[in-house]
Amino acid sequence: MSKIEPTSTRFVIEPLSQFDLSTHSRTTTVRSIAITSLSNPTILYVGTNSGTLFSLSADTNDSNTSQNGTVPSDSASFLHKLSFIRSVSVSDSPVDAVLVLADLGKVLLLSDGSLFLVDSELSNRAFRLGFSKGVAVVTRRKMRNNESEGLGFDMNNQNHRFLQKLGGLIVKDGETQSGACVLALAIGRKLVIVELVLGSGKSGKSDKDFNNGSLVVLKEIQCVDGVVSTMVWIDDSIFVGTVNGYSLISCVSGQSSVIFSLPDVSRPPRLKLLHREWRVLLLVDNVGVIVDVQGQPVGGSLVFRHGLQSVGELSFYVVVVSDGKIELYNKKNGVCAQVLPFGGEGIGPCVVASEEDKSGKIVAVATATKVVCYQKLPSVEQIKDLLRKKNYKGAICLVEELESEGEMSKDLLSFIHAQVGFLLLFDLHFEEAVDHFLLSDTMQPSEIFPFIMRDPNRWSLLVPRNRYWGLHPPPAPLEDVVDDGLMTIQRASFLRKAGVETIVDNDLFLNPPNRADLLESAIKNISRYLEASREKKLTQSVSEGVDTLLMYLYRALNRTEDMERLASSTNCCVVEELEHMLEESGHLRTLAFLYASKGMSSKAVSIWRILARNYSSSLWKDPALDNIIQDSGENLISGKAIAAEASKILEESSDQDLILQHLGWIADISQVLAVEVLTSDKREIQLSPDEVVTSIDPQKVEILQRYLQWLIEHQDCFDTQLHTLYALSLAKSAIEAFEFENISENLASGNTERKNLATLRNSIFQTPVRERLQIFLQSSDLYDPEEVLDLIEGSELWLEKAILYRRLGQETLVLQILALKLEDSEAAEQYCAEIGRADAYMQLLEMYLDPQDGKDPMFTAAVRLLHNHGESLDPLQVLEKLSPDMPLQLASETLLRMFRARVHHHRQGQIVHSLSRAVDIDARLSRLDERSRHVQINDESLCDSCNARLGTKLFAMYPDDTVVCYKCYRRQGESVSVSGRNFKEDILIKPGWLVSR
Amino acid sequence: MATIGHNNLNAKLVLLGDMGAGKSSLVLRFVKGQFLEFQESTIGAAFFSQTLAVNDATVKFEIWDTAGQERYHSLAPMYYRGAAAAIIVYDITSTDSFSRAKKWVQELQKQGNPNMVMAFAGNKCDLEDKRKVTAEDLSTGKMIGNAKESRGLYYLDNGLDFKDQQKTYSGATISNENHSDQILDLNNNEGPPEMPQHNDSYKETQSGFTTIDPT
Repeated sequence: MSKIEPTSTRFVIEPLSQFDLSTHSRTTTVRSIAITSLSNPTILYVGTNSGTLFSLSADTNDSNTSQNGTVPSDSASFLHKLSFIRSVSVSDSPVDAVLVLADLGKVLLLSDGSLFLVDSELSNRAFRLGFSKGVAVVTRRKMRNNESEGLGFDMNNQNHRFLQKLGGLIVKDGETQSGACVLALAIGRKLVIVELVLGSGKSGKSDKDFNNGSLVVLKEIQCVDGVVSTMVWIDDSIFVGTVNGYSLISCVSGQSSVIFSLPDVSRPPRLKLLHREWRVLLLVDNVGVIVDVQGQPVGGSLVFRHGLQSVGELSFYVVVVSDGKIELYNKKNGVCAQVLPFGGEGIGPCVVASEEDKSGKIVAVATATKVVCYQKLPSVEQIKDLLRKKNYKGAICLVEELESEGEMSKDLLSFIHAQVGFLLLFDLHFEEAVDHFLLSDTMQPSEIFPFIMRDPNRWSLLVPRNRYWGLHPPPAPLEDVVDDGLMTIQRASFLRKAGVETIVDNDLFLNPPNRADLLESAIKNISRYLEASREKKLTQSVSEGVDTLLMYLYRALNRTEDMERLASSTNCCVVEELEHMLEESGHLRTLAFLYASKGMSSKAVSIWRILARNYSSSLWKDPALDNIIQDSGENLISGKAIAAEASKILEESSDQDLILQHLGWIADISQVLAVEVLTSDKREIQLSPDEVVTSIDPQKVEILQRYLQWLIEHQDCFDTQLHTLYALSLAKSAIEAFEFENISENLASGNTERKNLATLRNSIFQTPVRERLQIFLQSSDLYDPEEVLDLIEGSELWLEKAILYRRLGQETLVLQILALKLEDSEAAEQYCAEIGRADAYMQLLEMYLDPQDGKDPMFTAAVRLLHNHGESLDPLQVLEKLSPDMPLQLASETLLRMFRARVHHHRQGQIVHSLSRAVDIDARLSRLDERSRHVQINDESLCDSCNARLGTKLFAMYPDDTVVCYKCYRRQGESVSVSGRNFKEDILIKPGWLVSR
Repeated sequence: MATIGHNNLNAKLVLLGDMGAGKSSLVLRFVKGQFLEFQESTIGAAFFSQTLAVNDATVKFEIWDTAGQERYHSLAPMYYRGAAAAIIVYDITSTDSFSRAKKWVQELQKQGNPNMVMAFAGNKCDLEDKRKVTAEDLSTGKMIGNAKESRGLYYLDNGLDFKDQQKTYSGATISNENHSDQILDLNNNEGPPEMPQHNDSYKETQSGFTTIDPT
């Protein structure tokens, strides 16, 4: 538990000044010592074995040992001398204890079992306080301010008054406040609580000049355990130590309880108040047990390896002296932090004195003839010292301790983490270095910049000139850091061979790393730092530096993926800084992403174009035929990916020239992408259709068509020219496709599958071109039909022609095409229906019967026509039209059909007529029924409107059974009843009136 | 004593036993999951704390690992005073340590907190071939006195899983295989039926330790 770890050896204290008693008196030796810092300068009181007390001034002001930053050597010969102030003779016996009552300006001495009082300047003779002899131990009550008031237990009046009287030295936040001086005296087995009352000076002189005073006994407590040899009094707890053990006595109740007993044979008990924690240290041999005010143990035991003669306190350390050594142990974890010799072994008894203050900085050690004063090094100096020794772990450990003790500000902690990071960096421990950088809240990312880019650069002025403690060299590019570090290791190995000890990391020394590995680790870790820095809130210029340099580092390790990720995400990279570098190293994709992310579309697209060209040329050059297919697959994919990236940029761009400039090569790779570029909804300013149309490669008809289709269908373009253009383009394609189909059909009927595949593969459209043409011709009104007609006049696109003629109103031509060319009698009939005139049917019939051009009459179609629409044709005309050549058999059938149809039509009419009449009669009947209804009224019957008695008056009834008097009837009219129902608008139907047949 | 606040429970636990029984090793395994081949002799007492989740409460153990040396015996009362639980450790290969452990039980019964939960732990059961303390030694258990006095005493031994005539004790195993691993294995989850104040629940933790949780 209390192992002395070499890593934690620190320099907590350094010798400050010393005093040699032998130069003043050859006969006497030091017996006791006390220190007070309430006066300035700090004064040491030393009691001697010959019964004198002298004071020494530990002038701390001119101590500059710690200022120059070097830890002083242990030799005491350079030390300042403690200046001797004054001495006073107390008694003939040794001065056993010195108690500084700083608040009263007095010093209380214990000598020969009696108490003496001296003023703190030692200007007057010591005054013996009249009290029984045999005082073995004296202690003053110490209280913490807030606890002195709320004495929560056993508050009976007597005790309360007693306690109020008691008072004590109140310690509040490290300051001692003056209060009554209440002391506990141990006289044999008895404990006497007394108050020191200072006598007032005669003839108006101040108290300080006189040492007289008296002790007033407040209480006596019997202590049964044994002879008290040590005592501490805090708040209401008096801790006493006897040969048998330690007890806790309550000054309120006087009750005593055993804390623990000592082993049968052991060193005398010893107690020490720990001001800082407000706890008490109880010693058993060389073991220290810390207990709280209630006597409960707190924390593990402290083990003082080398025994102890005296114990003091400094900051969070316990100071023990033994055998001419001063040792500091951490109160919390019991680790020995520092061992300092101050005299040879066998030097005899030593005593240590520490300030009775939370923030004490000085401890004094006395041997028989020598007094040495030690000063606590500022924490910063302690840390610096550890860092200088490259004991980073120890330094961080100390820093953490200081932080947990609340003695270190957050900023300082951050500062130290950064400092440690830099030291580690120069020691080539890059990973640990960055770990520390990341722990520092105050470190600026720009501090790292000089390690990445040689000065001067764009960010040179941003780099804070923070040199920390100047423990590391100025920043240099990582290569230099690595080179210098390696050189240091090399030099150290030479020195070591020559027998000179150097502070170089053993690991690195034993396994010298190679430069490339180090550099890689450096770059990797520094990029880790920059990556983390990106998350922080930084100023624009620093962000730029971070991102740009991060790209630099990625490139150095050729981390293409990271580069591209960084470039394509939102970043603050400075393009000018990276352009050249990326171009040279061939990271064109990254550059293109970067341009794109910075809105430099034209540059980005140009790079994609170059990349695309490179891909295709490499594909072209490939001589191995076997590989072509495989490679072409790959290259096409990557080519497509490139085009996709470029088109992504262009889709958002409104720069028409740029788009049209790059459309060509994108279309070469993928027509779909080209179309996407043109038809993008993402751009702010739409492209001018005319220019787009003119710039589209005439070879790439489908792109044009797709674009026009998008304009017309999605953008609701009403430009007749574009409609015409679209129609013409479709028509042209349709003609070509038609011809191609015919040719291939002619070539080999067996190859149809292949042809279909070919046409399917090449087209970006899913539906065949003719279908599209027909749909468009039918749906749009804005194209110029004549122009289109001109184009397809000579072709076989009959249906299209029909559509166009229809548009032109050339009914005869349309019918001719439909009926004779396409022989689509259904469509022809449909068209006639559209025309809606009987003569259209007649015309059609005529065409069927006399197709001309030497064609046979199409009797079947004619018969069908007559059958379907015969009733609307004039039989005479039909008869006239029928050609004499028509076979009678067919004609008769047709005519019979026609007649039959007419008769049928007639009869159908008759049936409908009769049915209507039946309904009419039914209705009349119902009406009559309704009108002939009887209504019975009596004397009570009232008019529903005016509520007048009907009596024998004339009245009327409405169909909804409301009855009104004649007057009201006249007023209301026939069709509106009393309920407001208008029978003309809201027809009333009763079930009986319905025609049930 | 165990104190409760916001479902957080503080429990003072003290380890007692002869020197070399393995108290410090037991604590070290529980708190840090470590095992040291050469554990230094404890001087005075060592303090540890470990927080465990038991059901929906957290128990913070304040563990006092006392020194086994006779010289520091007198310090022990300071540590077991007010403790909620005590583990008395003995070495199964040493009858001396067993009789010392029995003395500890007696001392605690006489002077300790009457509500204290005591656990009796036989350590080093990887050294089975050198076993000196047998199950009979335990079951004859004269040192426990009558049943009333033995309330709250648990046996944690080498998994022999024995039962008293009237009461069900919890048998547990501490194995110390090749001095490299210690497992406190619980064989019986039943608590003693007559436990008016200690509704004990056990939970195995990742460290393989068994917690005793007086609520």
